[in-house]
Amino acid sequence: MTATVSSRSIPVERVARRRPPRSRAAAWAAVTVIGFFGLAPIYWLVVTAFTPDDKAFAFPPSLVPTEITFDHFVRLAENEQLFGYLVNSVIVSVVTAVLSVAVSAYMAYAFSKFRYRGRSSLMHLVLASQLFPQALLLVTLYAVFSATGLLGSYTALIVSFTTFTLPLCVWMLKGIFDTVPSTLMEAAAIDGASRWRTLHQIALPLAAPGLVAAGLFAFVRAWNDFIFALTLADPDRQTLPPGLVHTYLGEFQTAWPDLMAASLVVSLPVIAAFMFLQRYLVGGLTAGAVKG
Amino acid sequence: MNTLNRRAVLRLAGLSALGAAVAACAPDAAGGGAPKGDAAAKAFGFTSWSLNEEAQKGAVQAVLDAYAARAKVTINPASFPYNEYLNQVTLKLRGGQLTGAVQLDISWLAALAAMGRLKDLGAQAAGGGYTDVALGSGQFGGKQLGLPWTTGSIGLVANTELLKKAGVDGMPATVEEFEAALRKVAKLGGGITPYAAATKAAQLKDILPWMRTFGSPLLEGDTITVGDDASVAAVEWYKKLYDDKLIAPDVDRFDARALFAQGKAAFYDDAIITRGVVASQSPDKSLTEKMAPLARPVLKAGDTPQALLWGHVIVVVDGEGSDAAADFAAYATSDTATVASFFEKVKLPPTTTAGLADPKVSGDTFTADWTEKITKTATANPFWRYAGYAQIEAAIAEQVQAVLVGRSPAKEALAKAAETARPLQK
Repeated sequence: MTATVSSRSIPVERVARRRPPRSRAAAWAAVTVIGFFGLAPIYWLVVTAFTPDDKAFAFPPSLVPTEITFDHFVRLAENEQLFGYLVNSVIVSVVTAVLSVAVSAYMAYAFSKFRYRGRSSLMHLVLASQLFPQALLLVTLYAVFSATGLLGSYTALIVSFTTFTLPLCVWMLKGIFDTVPSTLMEAAAIDGASRWRTLHQIALPLAAPGLVAAGLFAFVRAWNDFIFALTLADPDRQTLPPGLVHTYLGEFQTAWPDLMAASLVVSLPVIAAFMFLQRYLVGGLTAGAVKG
Repeated sequence: MNTLNRRAVLRLAGLSALGAAVAACAPDAAGGGAPKGDAAAKAFGFTSWSLNEEAQKGAVQAVLDAYAARAKVTINPASFPYNEYLNQVTLKLRGGQLTGAVQLDISWLAALAAMGRLKDLGAQAAGGGYTDVALGSGQFGGKQLGLPWTTGSIGLVANTELLKKAGVDGMPATVEEFEAALRKVAKLGGGITPYAAATKAAQLKDILPWMRTFGSPLLEGDTITVGDDASVAAVEWYKKLYDDKLIAPDVDRFDARALFAQGKAAFYDDAIITRGVVASQSPDKSLTEKMAPLARPVLKAGDTPQALLWGHVIVVVDGEGSDAAADFAAYATSDTATVASFFEKVKLPPTTTAGLADPKVSGDTFTADWTEKITKTATANPFWRYAGYAQIEAAIAEQVQAVLVGRSPAKEALAKAAETARPLQK
């Protein structure tokens, strides 16, 4: 079966060349439509961020801004409280990412390279924790952190975020460790390397793209969370999502242009991280996806 | 002598950094964000969404500072966003993390009162000089659990310039006159929505005062009357406005304000703060001069105009620092100089007779008009007595929307709404 498929395999370039013009047009149309849905909200966010308050609510709305202002960015720069939320976001997200990668790397390595009773059940148990709606766990976590005196601290946020990111990180990294040939470990053992050294000096460097992908996933998860950050952290330890809501969404009105300007600015670190690390991210997410 | 190689130094540095991070993440000595009070009750918490809202935080902070200086106490503020406020306050009250004074929307009082942790403020209310309507907004189960901070109403506002252009003379007093006025405004064209009424499910609770206008009590004793002939007639009338494009699809309060601010709506429903909100969104700097509150039109002359009571109260959590917090609540809501100054800054009407009579308040024509025409006959939503009132409102709204889009006839839809709402009466 495999032989038949491989004998019929055709280079990708030739497949593309042979595609009839009509199907190519359809593909482009599909990409354009999907791109529009993906990019239109971002375009609107950028336009609103630069639109004066009284023009932002104009009816009918204008797709192209007729007047541009930087007032919202100036107000944002002058808001010290938002800077505090930003610092909190960075602390919580970075520590969550580091902790998630550290813990999930050891778990994934153990799942991938050791054979022991209950391994498969444990792996599925880890994954099963993803089946619960996270909001359901909020009340329980609140009670636990309250009883342990951690409520309101960074620790409460970091521990809860790490809890939620671990299952996916573990499975992602397990797939990557599966692709590292066991013969390498055996060779290291023959050369006298301990298991600890084999993991740190052979397996982890080879899994670097996966570690980056897992770290980014955990970082973004912590960066974007709203409800846990609002509930478990003190007001002075809250992160940007609740901070932005608190600052711009009020009982009576929403400062949409200011909110859009702030959203644009706070997205920049995540965008920069993705651009800088995207080759690792793609490699890390797809590694181990295909066997053989 | 042992020497450290580069790897060992890096390992030590890593461990040190980890230790520092863990130390930084540890809770502070105060143990989190719960408001703390000392044994002599010289400190207490004040939880309020207004403390972080741009338009009000300065005015609220001034009240806190003035009281703290006067009573020589420390007030520990805490704040949550309005849309998440009830959930957060409920969770913290249940977890014993909430003490002191707490700002509440009047519609949330039942939900918190049901937890049995609020202090009876009857003694403070007795000497406060509050109006009867205002006092009523803070009562639950025969107790005065909240001191009214601001009491207003949600009612109709008109753009008098548009009405004049459309040839509408005077404010419509009956439903028939109101509909005729809408039809005249519709003839203006230009994308104008005659009445920016709520049509999105999330805001369709605005139809409840119209149901009352048509004669439905909504609730009699503990029996939900939604689905009676009067409420069906109200929904059928609303549907007629919808079909005739006198009201627009997919409108909520925010959309309605935007339309009104752009001069694209002649009428809409809002609270008394409408003036400041639409002014900030409007390119027309003279719009506020063209705005006029009007009593909701009645079914027949002589009926009482319907309006929904709206406002904020301050409740006090029983226990640590509650006496000091209760004294603060009384000061913030009934000290005449304080409430008049608060009104001057945020235009939220006070709740005491003396406060309303203060020249700063009584001299404000819009507020005086609003109080006379709308708040005077405003009543609370009868469903607020149930902790699950929001789900009851949502059940009704969902079925009204089904009628608007033509999915169900009014009679059948409202019967279904009542059936869904009944188990939520607890």
